[in-house]
Amino acid sequence: MTTAPTTTAGPAPRTRPELHQSNVAQTWAMSKRSILALWRQPALVVPSMIFPLFFAALGTASFSRATAIPGFPEVDSYLDFALAGAIVQGILFGSTVGATALATDIENGFFDRLLSSPSTRSGIIVGRMAGGMAYGFLQTVVFIAVLLPFGLTIKGGVPGVITMAIGGTVLALAVGALMSAMAIRTGSSEAVQGAFPLLFIALFFSSAFFPRETMSGIYARLADINPISYLVEGFRDLTIEGFTWSAAFRAVVIPAILAVLTVTLSLRTLKRRLGAR
Amino acid sequence: MPTTSTNSLPIEAIGLQRTFGTGDEQVKAVDGVDLQIQQGEIFGFLGPNGAGKSTTVRMLTTLLRPTGGIGRVAGFDVVEQANDVRRNIGVALQDAAIDPLMTGSELLHLQAVLYGLPKSTHATKAGELLERVGLTAAGNRRVGTYSGGMRRRLDLALSLIHEPTVLFLDEPTTGLDPMSRISLWEEIRRLNNDGTTVMLTTQYLEEADQLTERIAIIDHGVIVRKGRPSELKAEVGSPTLFVSVDAAATEPATTLLAGFGELRPSPEGTLGVGLTDGPSAVSNVIRTLDDAGITVRNLELHEPSLDDVFAEATGYRLEGADA
Repeated sequence: MTTAPTTTAGPAPRTRPELHQSNVAQTWAMSKRSILALWRQPALVVPSMIFPLFFAALGTASFSRATAIPGFPEVDSYLDFALAGAIVQGILFGSTVGATALATDIENGFFDRLLSSPSTRSGIIVGRMAGGMAYGFLQTVVFIAVLLPFGLTIKGGVPGVITMAIGGTVLALAVGALMSAMAIRTGSSEAVQGAFPLLFIALFFSSAFFPRETMSGIYARLADINPISYLVEGFRDLTIEGFTWSAAFRAVVIPAILAVLTVTLSLRTLKRRLGAR
Repeated sequence: MPTTSTNSLPIEAIGLQRTFGTGDEQVKAVDGVDLQIQQGEIFGFLGPNGAGKSTTVRMLTTLLRPTGGIGRVAGFDVVEQANDVRRNIGVALQDAAIDPLMTGSELLHLQAVLYGLPKSTHATKAGELLERVGLTAAGNRRVGTYSGGMRRRLDLALSLIHEPTVLFLDEPTTGLDPMSRISLWEEIRRLNNDGTTVMLTTQYLEEADQLTERIAIIDHGVIVRKGRPSELKAEVGSPTLFVSVDAAATEPATTLLAGFGELRPSPEGTLGVGLTDGPSAVSNVIRTLDDAGITVRNLELHEPSLDDVFAEATGYRLEGADA
C-alpha cells in the first residue's frame, strides 16, 4: 500500500473574494425565503385563513343566544366575542406551516447546506420564524378586516387593532418557535404535523370559545391555568371593552414571555442537535 | 480571522473518530481515519454503504462533531475553527438538497448573502455560475421543475459561489444519465485545473478511476486501502491476457500460455492467462505462439480493475462496477 505523497499534487489555490458575513443580512435573507415559501404554497396557507373565519361565522350563527348566559360578557354580537379565538386559532394553525417547512429542510438535506455555510445558527432559525411572524401579523389584520363588514366592532379602536396585530405577530413567534423546537428535535415533518392536535386541545381548554365565567369543573380549572386563556382575554378585552393597558399587556406580554421561553428552547434544541450529531 | 498556513494540507485527518450511542449500543462509525489530501488533488473516497464515508465527510465539513482525533480543512480545525472551515469549503451533499420552491437564481443570491459576498457582485456572480453549469435559461424557474441532472449542476454552482479552495462532493453523479455524468466530470476537472482541491465520495469506481489521482477505501470505519488507482490495481495482481486462436490450436496454445503465468477463466472461444511479468510479457506471448505456428486471431489485455481492488479490500463488489 502506498502512503501519502510528499509533494503538492496540483496548482496553487486562487485569490478569493473578500467575504464579510452580516448576521442581519443573513437573517433577513432567510426571512425573505420563508415568506416566499408561504406565498408560493397557497394550499398550505389558505386553510389557516379560511377555517378560523368559518368557525367565527358558524359560532355567530349558532351561539348568538349564548351571549345571554349569565357570566357571558356584554357584547353587541357573538362575533365581537369570537374574534379573539379566531385570531389565536388561525395563528396556531399557521405557525405549524413554518415549522413543517423547517422539518422538511432537515429531511431533504437543505438544512445541512445552510449549516455548512458560515451563517449564524440562530439566523437560520430566526429567519424561518420571521416568515411565521409576518404571516401572524397578516392573519390578525385580515381577520379583523374581513369581519368588520359583518358587524364586528372593536371598542379599542385603532390602538386596539395595532396592539392585536403586534400581539398576533409575537404569538406567531412563540408558537412557531415551539413547533420549530419539535422540528429540530425530530427532523420529521410528520411529527410536527402530528403535534398540531395538541395545540388545538390546548386551545379548546382555554377561554377561546367561551368565557371562563361560564365554565365549571375540570374544564374551568384547566382554562384557569392555561396561558392561552389570558392572552385570548387580552385580545377580547381590546375588542369588547376598549383599549386598556391591562388588556394590551395581556395581548402582547403573555405571548412575548412565551416567545422568550420557546425561542430559547428551540435554540437550545438546535445546539444540542448540532453537538450530538 | 485566523489565516491558513501556507504549508498546511487542504484536508487532513489524524485518527478521526466518531461513535454513536452509548454503552452496549455504542457504534464506532469512524474509527481512527488518517487522511492527507494534497493541494490541487482530486481525492476519491470509496466504501460500501454504511462504511463511514458520509460520517467522515460530515465531520470534515463541520456538520458533525468528531468524538476523537483531529480534522483540519484549509488549515483550520473542524471543531475549534468551524466557521473558518465553512468560509473556505464548498459542499455538495448527497441528493442535491435544494429548496424546490425557490428558483436557481434566488438560491444563488441566498447563498451569496450567507457567505457574505459584496452585494454589488451577487447578480454577476449568480449569472456567471448559471452560465458555467448551463442553467442560464432555467435560472428563473423554480427548482421543483428541474431534472435530476439540472439539480446536481445547480447544487455544484451553489457550492462554488464563494470560490472555495476545497470542494467536498458527496456522490455528485448518483442517479445521473451518462451524458450528465460526463458533463459534471468535465466541470470537476475544470475546477481542479483552477486550483480547487476536491474530495469526491463516490459509489462509481469508473468515476474514481477517471477523475481521481489518489483514492482511499473505507470499510467498517477504517481506511483499508489508500494510494493511486494504478498502484492499487497493480497490488491486486497481474493483468489477464485473453487470446483467441483457431479451435485446432487450443491445446498447444494452452500449454504454451501456461508458461507465462496461471491460466484464468475466460470467455468461450478464448484462453486466459495471468501475466506474471505484467503487460511487458505480451510481445513474448505473441512471439512464442507465432514460433509454434499458431495464428493469433484476437488479443485483449485486461488490467486489474478498481472493482478488483475494492472487492479485495472490502469483500464487496459494487453494483454496476465496471472500472
